[in-house]
Amino acid sequence: MRDRSLQYYLLVPAFMIVVATTIYPLAYSFITAFRDWDLSKQRRPQGFVGADNFTQALSDANFLSTAWVTAIFVVVSVALTVVLAMGLALLLRRRGPLHDFTRIILILPFAMSPALIGVSYRFMFNPEYGVIAKGLGQVFPPLAGIPWLADPHLALGVLIATDVWHWTPYMTFMCLGGLASVPRATEEAARMDGASSLRILWDVILPQMTGVLVVVAVLKTIFALKMFDQVVTLTGGGPGVATETLAFYVYKVGFKWFDMGYASALAWVLTAILMAVSAGYVRMLLKERKMATA
Amino acid sequence: MKRSVLSRAAETIILLVVCFVALFPIVWMFLTAFKNPRDAYDISLNFQPTLQNFVTIFSNPWNLGHALLNSTIVAGATVLLSIPAAALAAYSFSRFRMKARKSLFFAVISTQFVPAVVIVLPFFLMFRSLGLLDTRIALVVVNVAIVTPFVIWMIKGFIDAIPLDSEEAAMMDGASRLRVIRDIVLPMAAPGIITSAIFSFILTWNEFLFALILTRRHATTLPVALTNFRTERGDLWELMSAAGVLITVPIFLLALVIQKHFTRGMTAGAVK
Amino acid sequence: MADIRLVDIVKKYGDFLAVPRQNLTIEDGEFLVLLGPSGCGKTTTMRMIAGLEDITEGQIFVGDTCVNDLPPKDRDIAMVFQNYGLYPHMTVGDNIAYPLKLRGMSRAERREQARITAEKVELGPYLNRRPAELSGGQRQRVALARAIIRRPKLFLMDEPLSNLDAKLRVTMRAELKHLHHELGITTVYVTHDQTEAMTLASRIAILNHGRIVQLDTPERIYSEPADIFVAGFIGNPAMNLIAGEIRGGVFEAPAVRIPGLDAGPSGPVVLGVRPEHLRIAETGPIAGPIFANELLGDSTLVTLRQRGTHICARGPADFRRELDQPVSFAPTPDARLHLFDAENGNRIATQSF
Repeated sequence: MRDRSLQYYLLVPAFMIVVATTIYPLAYSFITAFRDWDLSKQRRPQGFVGADNFTQALSDANFLSTAWVTAIFVVVSVALTVVLAMGLALLLRRRGPLHDFTRIILILPFAMSPALIGVSYRFMFNPEYGVIAKGLGQVFPPLAGIPWLADPHLALGVLIATDVWHWTPYMTFMCLGGLASVPRATEEAARMDGASSLRILWDVILPQMTGVLVVVAVLKTIFALKMFDQVVTLTGGGPGVATETLAFYVYKVGFKWFDMGYASALAWVLTAILMAVSAGYVRMLLKERKMATA
Repeated sequence: MKRSVLSRAAETIILLVVCFVALFPIVWMFLTAFKNPRDAYDISLNFQPTLQNFVTIFSNPWNLGHALLNSTIVAGATVLLSIPAAALAAYSFSRFRMKARKSLFFAVISTQFVPAVVIVLPFFLMFRSLGLLDTRIALVVVNVAIVTPFVIWMIKGFIDAIPLDSEEAAMMDGASRLRVIRDIVLPMAAPGIITSAIFSFILTWNEFLFALILTRRHATTLPVALTNFRTERGDLWELMSAAGVLITVPIFLLALVIQKHFTRGMTAGAVK
Repeated sequence: MADIRLVDIVKKYGDFLAVPRQNLTIEDGEFLVLLGPSGCGKTTTMRMIAGLEDITEGQIFVGDTCVNDLPPKDRDIAMVFQNYGLYPHMTVGDNIAYPLKLRGMSRAERREQARITAEKVELGPYLNRRPAELSGGQRQRVALARAIIRRPKLFLMDEPLSNLDAKLRVTMRAELKHLHHELGITTVYVTHDQTEAMTLASRIAILNHGRIVQLDTPERIYSEPADIFVAGFIGNPAMNLIAGEIRGGVFEAPAVRIPGLDAGPSGPVVLGVRPEHLRIAETGPIAGPIFANELLGDSTLVTLRQRGTHICARGPADFRRELDQPVSFAPTPDARLHLFDAENGNRIATQSF
């Protein structure tokens, strides 16, 4: 039947795009990761240096601090987002004018450009005239004059806040989708059996939501690992290198120091981590689907 | 079941707080955009609104009109290139049970998880040798790379939800597969495809990393142009806010127009 | 117009054998019903005829041409789907005329044909509506009109009435029958509803586990079921199937002792007798305490139970007796008793009284 060939023809345009724009660059940077290339001095890549670029990372204090910052950022941001999103989804599951309004409002933080979010938080947390920094100081005087973005820990905190603010809506909608597929009947049966609302949540709803929650957590992990824009526009990596994430460090090595070989190697470290996480994600997705059709 | 007044009140309060938290940074940016420079550095709500900031950002030396044009062209071209290719691929993934389907789909989807910073390195070098740095073409190419797999995924979710019956009926009525796609599938999937198009427009419009690295002056987009307001004299918040309004208003309008599909589309690919 | 032949058709899904080696000839102009429980392979068989499903092995002929490699569009077969498969974005008129559009007919002619066809199925006033604005019965008619607007070699109908409410189903059944008579086009009809099968079919093919168990006229399927499966599947209320033993022409089971049967070989058998072939009698070969009385309006179904065996008879509407009271059943004068092999379920003999 002609369908047999047609099914592949239909894929051709998309695959040409994917190959040209993803596979090729990936291969290119993979090769570069094994070469010596200082773009500020050399127009063309130099000789192969084996795994030097990768071993360099292990002794690079900057890289190790970056990895640590990234780890903290990912863990805190994922945990906060998942808990907030699930809680919010439970509230928004009911219908009502305020519920519907909230749902619409939630689209806005997600639709906002992350770079702009960084800018606007930078403005709001400015200790001299930022509305949050100054407002907090007026309500709780001990908090007045805190240099939010000049303190390493607080700066990381604000960075996490921007990310949670941006992503919680999306994850809430995913949780809502998951909740919608939890059959009402099981909940009503538990209620007839005399379970309290909290018990129903714990014994009936959450067990049926684990699949969706894992998907949400993994997806958020992937987004958090890729996070870049707010680092540039909110903190610029500072103070010092306190908020430099892995993605930002790759950018710095490549486009501030022009060490293309090392930058490519670092980029591949990040890719490897992401691939590992996403492989797990896709596997879960396939399992989910099997469960859904069973 | 009747719920107690207390739990209803608590729920209302929580939702109001959520709305406040979600809206506050946006509202504050909008307010600042209408303040004159002196008021911008004060958190008082008592100020004389002005449109001066919007006039300023469109005139010398900022000339944001140019960045606005770049953003529009880049996002528009990205959508026009990626959507047709993605729609065909999504149909194939959704309807055919080919042997290699799983691995091909896996390949497409996993590219979505490749960090942009990895792709941008070789692109930077490539565009440099081709003399395409700081051009819109370069931006469109990389954005298509990021958007296409995502859109395939999203449109596939929408096509999966279309029952097979109408398609099979059309085949029995005498339509070829391509005719079925044209006459039946595309019209039925139109809301989903439009949603995906708007979605990818938003992604591209907000994109920052590629624009930051691959452009300097001629092809800068709005998010990168924002950083211009960080000058030696300090950050010009009232102008940044005005530029922020310029970035967000079109996106918010698009997002609200499709909001019913938007929430579904955002999750269609991921959960279902 | 042509006959359809299925030759050694096999369908596998991976390791799962959905249809094992099927042979079937559908004669020109007949109304063939494929009947069976869900999962018996009837829909798969139909979809292979349509070309919507690949054939793993074997050949399908329409007339003298093998259509195995023809895509659905080139088979000249029309199909009515269970969920109608209407085009939600087109008007009723455009839905009906779509097959003609694909055949390159001019716009004006298409409209005229669609109007005539719509009249035939009483959709005249709805030509400009969208499917979403129609009731279930009307959508069904749109699907039907779309199938009959061109004269295909063959109609396929996949449980077309199963989404309608009970009353509408009866009306549509009559209309389908009339339409078949009027157009005379060969029709293959899939259903799990035995009443639909009995009323519509010129022949019924009963399927079980992908195999055709019996292919016959409705009358013969009812009066001479090929095996226990068919016997139990056809008829409402279902035929009594009583496991027992035959010895020297006497059938014995709990609560049952029927002498005077043709003396065949002795051994375990299953006796089949329809409730309408049993009447309530003062004394009879079947006796036991009443388990349930169910008034149907024109008659009462009386069930007795003895040691795990339930036996049901159709009694008069005014029959009244307390539960657990003894009751006896005797065969009616026109009763047909069937004996089935207890091992393989095949019918051994059928006997009138």
